[in-house]
Amino acid sequence: MLLREDGKARLIAGGTDLILEIRDHANSFEALVDVSRIPGLDRIHSDGERIHLGPLVTMTQVEESLLLKQHAIALWEACSWVGGPQIRNRATLAGNIVSAQPAADGAIALVALNAGLKILGFQGERDLMLSDSYIGVGRSAIDASREMITCIEFEGQHQGEASAFRRMAQRKAMALPQLNCAVWIASSVGYCTNARIAVGPVATMPFRARQAEAYLVGKPLTDETITACAAAIQEEVQPRDSMLRGSGLYRKEMAEALARETIKLAISRLEGSLA
Amino acid sequence: MKHIRLQINGVWRTGWANPGQTLLDFLREELNCTEVKKGCGKGDCGACTVIMNGISIDSCLTLALQAEGAEIITAKGLGTKDNPHPLQEAFIEKGAFQCGFCTPGMILSAKALLDKNPKPNREEIRRGLSGNICRCTGYRKIEEAVASASERSSNQSDDRELKDQ
Ligand code: FES
Ligand code: FES
Repeated sequence: MLLREDGKARLIAGGTDLILEIRDHANSFEALVDVSRIPGLDRIHSDGERIHLGPLVTMTQVEESLLLKQHAIALWEACSWVGGPQIRNRATLAGNIVSAQPAADGAIALVALNAGLKILGFQGERDLMLSDSYIGVGRSAIDASREMITCIEFEGQHQGEASAFRRMAQRKAMALPQLNCAVWIASSVGYCTNARIAVGPVATMPFRARQAEAYLVGKPLTDETITACAAAIQEEVQPRDSMLRGSGLYRKEMAEALARETIKLAISRLEGSLA
Repeated sequence: MKHIRLQINGVWRTGWANPGQTLLDFLREELNCTEVKKGCGKGDCGACTVIMNGISIDSCLTLALQAEGAEIITAKGLGTKDNPHPLQEAFIEKGAFQCGFCTPGMILSAKALLDKNPKPNREEIRRGLSGNICRCTGYRKIEEAVASASERSSNQSDDRELKDQ
């Protein structure tokens, strides 16, 4: 159907972002193709190695999934923050990705989990790393008038790995994040062997704190390391002044505290899983 | 325009829906279901909450056409004046509303919560209602009403179990 409309139609699933865009005339399409009722696209499953999420998996499904709580707790935590229950019941993780907001809680967690996407278009299927799917604020490399995400996938959690997500907002529910942070960490005998840290919204897309990650690898997981790593994150991020979220300077300062808490939380889970 | 058919509170209804029309506007304007309230129209307030195929949604963020064939429950479908739903009773008893504008949405969110989790603790109640805004009451009475309704219905089912034995 998308092919027939040749770029003038767009996919809609949960619609919790898109319907607002249409109402505000920020976006208009000649046709919408509703995929929200196609059966079988809302599966969450693991093949032992990787976890696969269908494109219609909602925030509520993530929140209720024991598999994800065990294997991707950062994602589980992140999704429980999106909107209220009514929105989480409709909003899909794939939509969170295609909307391409640098603050999207679900997407921040997925970036830290190094998620990959399978995308089906007119030319067939292609693979894309989630972190490569952003081309600007609210702009995704995935063109919902020509292609759709068919699968979101990432590696399940192994021994010695852990993740965490935290956010800062003005209210505890129904509020946009002022900052959010997701951490994935791998360790062996008390030393960090690998790490991924994602922070939002501090850039036009979910931000990977690469310098801080590089610093962390090979270091013992002590309080000094965490403090230094959080300071490195503060150095790296460049949040803008925002009416909604707070001044850039304030959020830059807060990024350090938030990152420190998130890294600590991830590490505490590491110890838990080793014990 | 498209003619669609959907079930409202157990009754099949049909109406004409525009392609970009929200389920909220369709319910209110085409089917005259004015118990579904329009607050913000953008997913912030929960006044427009309905239960669609068993899950609570904001009808302002759903297209009417996406609800074709669906089962919708609105506040009117819960109970009547003579035979109110335990939640409705509890809201009245506890005085859980003032202007009442948020009430249909609140009650439906509470129902969705209790259907999933019949005995929520206070934190779970607050979380379950976090998508609904009330400008009048300050939420405490609402929270109490939901807690009391949950006790009430679990007592009722305990009674039933006793009778069965
Ligand atoms: S009217 Fe739908 S959430 Fe406010
Ligand atoms: S009673 Fe007035 S908004 Fe809740």
